[in-house]
Amino acid sequence: MIDDVRTNTRETILGGDATEGSLLAVGASAATLAATILVFLFRPAIAVPMVGAFIFVTALGWVTYQAEIARLLTLIATVLTVLTVTFITIFLFASAFPAFVEHGLGLLLVPIQGGEVRWFFWLDAVLPTSTSYWNPAGGAYSLIPAIWGTVMVTLIAGAIAGPLGLFGALFIAEVASDGLREIIKPGVEVLAGIPSIVYGFIGFQVLNGFVQQSFLDDGASFLIAGVVVGVMALPTVVSVGEDALSSVPDAMGDGSIAMGATRWQTMKSISIPAAFSGISAGVILGLGRAIGETMAVAAIMAAGVGLANPLFDVFDASATLTSLIAVNYGSASESTVDVLFVAGVMLFVIVAGMSVVSQYIERQMREKLRGEA
Amino acid sequence: MSEGYATETTLVNAESNVYDRGLDAAIGLSVLTFALGMVTLVDAVPLSASGAALGESLGLILAVVVGGVGIVGVSSWANVTPVESQRVRGIALGLVVSTLGLTVLAYAVPVTLATLLGLTLVVEAVAVAVAGVASRVETVDTSPNTSAGLLAGVVFGALGLTLGAAIGGSLVGFDSPAWVAVALGAGLVLSALTVLPREDVGSTIPAALVVGTLGLTIATAVVGVGWQWNPQSLSGGFTGGAVIPIFVLVGAILSSWSAAKCRAGFGARGREFGAFLVINLNVFLMVAVMATIVVFVTVKGVGYALHGFTIGALSALVLLAPLLVVVVNAARTPAGTDDWHTGARQLFRLLPLAAVGSVAAVLLSVLVTGDRLAYPFTYSVQVNRAQQSLDTAIAVTPEPTVGSLLLVAPALLLSVYFFRTYGSLRNVGSRVGWAETIRQTLPLAVAGTVALTGLFLLVGPRPLGLPLGGTLGVAVVVLAAVAAVVLAALPLAGVLAGEGTLADRAQDRATLFTLGVFGSLALLTSALFLQATATVTPSVGPVNVVPGVALAGAVAASAATALVAYAKRQSGETLQRRLLGEEIALGLTGVAGFLTLLGLHVAVTKVSFTVLGVSVANAGTLSWPMTMQTYIPLGTEPGGILPAVVGTVWLVTGATLFAVPLGVGAAVFLTEYAEQGRFTALVEIATNALWSTPSIVFGLFGAAFLIPRLGGDESLLAGMLVLGFMLLPLVLITSREAVKSVPDEYRDASAALGVSQWETIKSVVLPAAMPGVITGVILGVGRIAGETAPLILVLGSTLNATESAQVLDGFRFTAQPPFVANDALLSASASLPTQVWAVIAAGVSGSPSMGWASAFVLLLVVLTFYAVGITARTYFRRKLTHE
Repeated sequence: MIDDVRTNTRETILGGDATEGSLLAVGASAATLAATILVFLFRPAIAVPMVGAFIFVTALGWVTYQAEIARLLTLIATVLTVLTVTFITIFLFASAFPAFVEHGLGLLLVPIQGGEVRWFFWLDAVLPTSTSYWNPAGGAYSLIPAIWGTVMVTLIAGAIAGPLGLFGALFIAEVASDGLREIIKPGVEVLAGIPSIVYGFIGFQVLNGFVQQSFLDDGASFLIAGVVVGVMALPTVVSVGEDALSSVPDAMGDGSIAMGATRWQTMKSISIPAAFSGISAGVILGLGRAIGETMAVAAIMAAGVGLANPLFDVFDASATLTSLIAVNYGSASESTVDVLFVAGVMLFVIVAGMSVVSQYIERQMREKLRGEA
Repeated sequence: MSEGYATETTLVNAESNVYDRGLDAAIGLSVLTFALGMVTLVDAVPLSASGAALGESLGLILAVVVGGVGIVGVSSWANVTPVESQRVRGIALGLVVSTLGLTVLAYAVPVTLATLLGLTLVVEAVAVAVAGVASRVETVDTSPNTSAGLLAGVVFGALGLTLGAAIGGSLVGFDSPAWVAVALGAGLVLSALTVLPREDVGSTIPAALVVGTLGLTIATAVVGVGWQWNPQSLSGGFTGGAVIPIFVLVGAILSSWSAAKCRAGFGARGREFGAFLVINLNVFLMVAVMATIVVFVTVKGVGYALHGFTIGALSALVLLAPLLVVVVNAARTPAGTDDWHTGARQLFRLLPLAAVGSVAAVLLSVLVTGDRLAYPFTYSVQVNRAQQSLDTAIAVTPEPTVGSLLLVAPALLLSVYFFRTYGSLRNVGSRVGWAETIRQTLPLAVAGTVALTGLFLLVGPRPLGLPLGGTLGVAVVVLAAVAAVVLAALPLAGVLAGEGTLADRAQDRATLFTLGVFGSLALLTSALFLQATATVTPSVGPVNVVPGVALAGAVAASAATALVAYAKRQSGETLQRRLLGEEIALGLTGVAGFLTLLGLHVAVTKVSFTVLGVSVANAGTLSWPMTMQTYIPLGTEPGGILPAVVGTVWLVTGATLFAVPLGVGAAVFLTEYAEQGRFTALVEIATNALWSTPSIVFGLFGAAFLIPRLGGDESLLAGMLVLGFMLLPLVLITSREAVKSVPDEYRDASAALGVSQWETIKSVVLPAAMPGVITGVILGVGRIAGETAPLILVLGSTLNATESAQVLDGFRFTAQPPFVANDALLSASASLPTQVWAVIAAGVSGSPSMGWASAFVLLLVVLTFYAVGITARTYFRRKLTHE
């Protein structure tokens, strides 16, 4: 049993055919690295010389046992990557934990305004209510307005990015000629690169004035933020949707065409149903983008934390989970920071969950198509 | 499929008649209305415009349409891009006619744009209804199905519901429940009208009803320009300015869909035409929105961003050199088929080359005549919260000076490029005894110089008080330079002297070419670095030795290259021509390499080099205040955002240095060494999830974990690490994809040769995966370069930074641990994205024009990364599939 473990470990670190010399080289290198990490954690002051020692030992090993050292280095890279990822996740949850313990459901206070509990999907039956729902001095932190702001922005963004994205994906995958596709597809990908702060600046400078004029609003609103975020998420939806449509085996479409169906009939009855899960994965990914979008929202909407009144008032404005963090972190007290971490954890869980779901859907689809092709 | 389809289209075309012509015009009109709807939505033309003002705007659109249709028509006529479809021709014609009609109407009748658009919608509704009825009574030959289908029924039901709600609400008020009944009724009626009758009625009459209602509402000014609806319960409201364009867009899409169905004779083909037209219009909308964003930021920011931009004509010429190579390559790619219109295509391929030539000629004329070439314009700056206009100009100056770095960058690029095009000249030409001797002694000489350089680097130029640097150093440098100039002259001498034709001589002396170019480059490079460490710059008269030799070498190499190129033209043998081609590539490598050394010398010694009035200097002639100056607090000119540019460069560098080794290493381990199973799948899912995690969450982590451990203040290092965390998943994902996509045959073949696993990875897998990895890194860097949210948490944002981070000069060695310190890394810095955010956060005291300019520079940086990454990917993919 112990021998098994030893052989396994040895094989993971060294690979199958290792000699004693390589064992020494790799062992020395790994040991210095471990020492470096320990020193960094407990006596960070002398970490730099330890790094030097590690580099020296590894370089020595590289000259003599290159293959084994290379393998070790890639293993170290993997371990460090995994550790970084795990550590970030754990740190987030650990930092949010005090606020969870302290406030509990108090993080979801349903506001009381004008002497009445605001209607929030009958949730006031379960959730606590309060007239002061965001008051860092008084220790009242309700994330409900920010959550609702995120939901509103995401809904509007989805309403824009979903249909337009589907049309765009269909166009690139099925309608456009080869030449046109070679221009538009990279073009859409390049547009996915426009930084969100640029969208935010446009919204801040131009669109807010437009809304005041055309929608009699006082500027910042869910509508504009949602539209801008929808446009931002559009390239993502188009790219992923197009990939899904293109991964439908040609044979399926050809079969339909051979039966005398038109291209539209083929698209409607073959391509879209076959790629449906992939397209929805794209939409989910795009929505994830929209939920996580910070700068455009923060630039367009003020940082107020009022719950939209009435609930579906698209012309109202409030901070979303992301802009709440961005705008408040700099001036936040310690207990507020804990609450902001709760917001961060919520975002992390929701978006990571959406990503996992969309990956699952995509994998299912690919397996199904492989089976049928 | 396309064959049979084309014939059928031709058959239909043969009996093309009034019905078809009319519907083509209706589709054209709808497309125009759609475009006008978009134009009015962004208020580019006010809805209240009428008379001459409206006529002018429409005239502009007419010009655009006529120009667009005209160029396509001409190329179609000339058979460059043949357009055979009767429908496309008809719609194009309809577009021109309807634009012309609207323009004339605008001048003739005093109506506002809103009314005009309303009337247009009514006309479209009538046209569609007439077409539907004509098809139903079988005046025209169509093939409709029994029903327009459930999907259309649902869509029209929803439309009817909305319309009914609006009409009912405004008639009886939203308070009484009657409006619900009206809404439901309208929805049901429209839905039934769509689904129940035959397709030709079902897909025209409901559309005509909806479009007609929308049109009449606008035309009769029920919803006019000044219309407002401001419900009490909402904090905003609706105005005609927003509602009319939306009505017009919906109406235009509906009528074009319906008209397209009629045009294609309903049935399966009609549905296809209708659906495709709607998809095309939507994509048109999408592309227009996206393009508008980029163009808008450019227009707003380019003036400020380019204020005071000047460049010396010579510098511009140097920068043109790589471009020249690119366009020459583009022009050389083989022309398509032997069709008779290849000539036209060839012309298009040659156009860029011609353009580069023209620009070069203009720059040369500036150099020769000494006249400044300037484009003056004004830009606005913010002084005391008020906008103020300043005069400035973009100029090309006639100074015959080129900056050293400006010379090194393109020259190095070109020498690497030419070296890569150069294959091999091994075993070509006859061997010469003395050349062999030189070839054997050269490495020794270079190694000796390098060793001396190392010595000086370790003990300084004056070890033990002996002036070794001033004596031995100078002697070696001069000796190496003399040897280099002799070597550089070898190819030229070899081609000129001797017997036989020029081509034969050139081929015979191939050994002299390799020896001359590589030998002299190596010697001169080692001499250059020896100079720097020995701190000497030997010179003959006013001319420094090393750059003088470099120039001589460049001249000799270009002369030899020119001769070989001439010989290649004369030569008839294919093999000989190929070998001479290799020699040309080698010669060009030499020219670019010598020029690189020349620039490097100036950069290292900081002594400018002047020959015949042309000089290479450290202070170049390129001046771009926006990116090369810091903010000037009290000047008339505002200066630029150099600190932000420098900050972004360091952030990106740091993040890349952190993420790329880790990501690529992990990808290699996970794909090549680790067993594919639960663990790798889990890592994959986790990295994907991390990739889509909101960036602000990373910022939160950085601010709460990194900053307290890195000095407790916002710092550049924390920014680098946070961006590195964000980059890591993408590098890992793309590298894994790249490594995975290397075919297993490669690995098997390598293993079959007895090559070990690591050797296989090193020399087979990694080189094959490299393009994918590099592309992924470039795209990832493009994304993090524009990332703002985490940076405002860990880096802060400064509005008008006057100091840029001096990271390289910031390194200090200290006596106590940790022995290395860098204050620049541990203090806050500006960066491009946070610069834009600072303008927003500053409110009224932020200068919008500066914000636009910063946004423009940021956009330029990020989109360049993306464009380069995507081009590289396309290029490598194409190369892979062709092999």
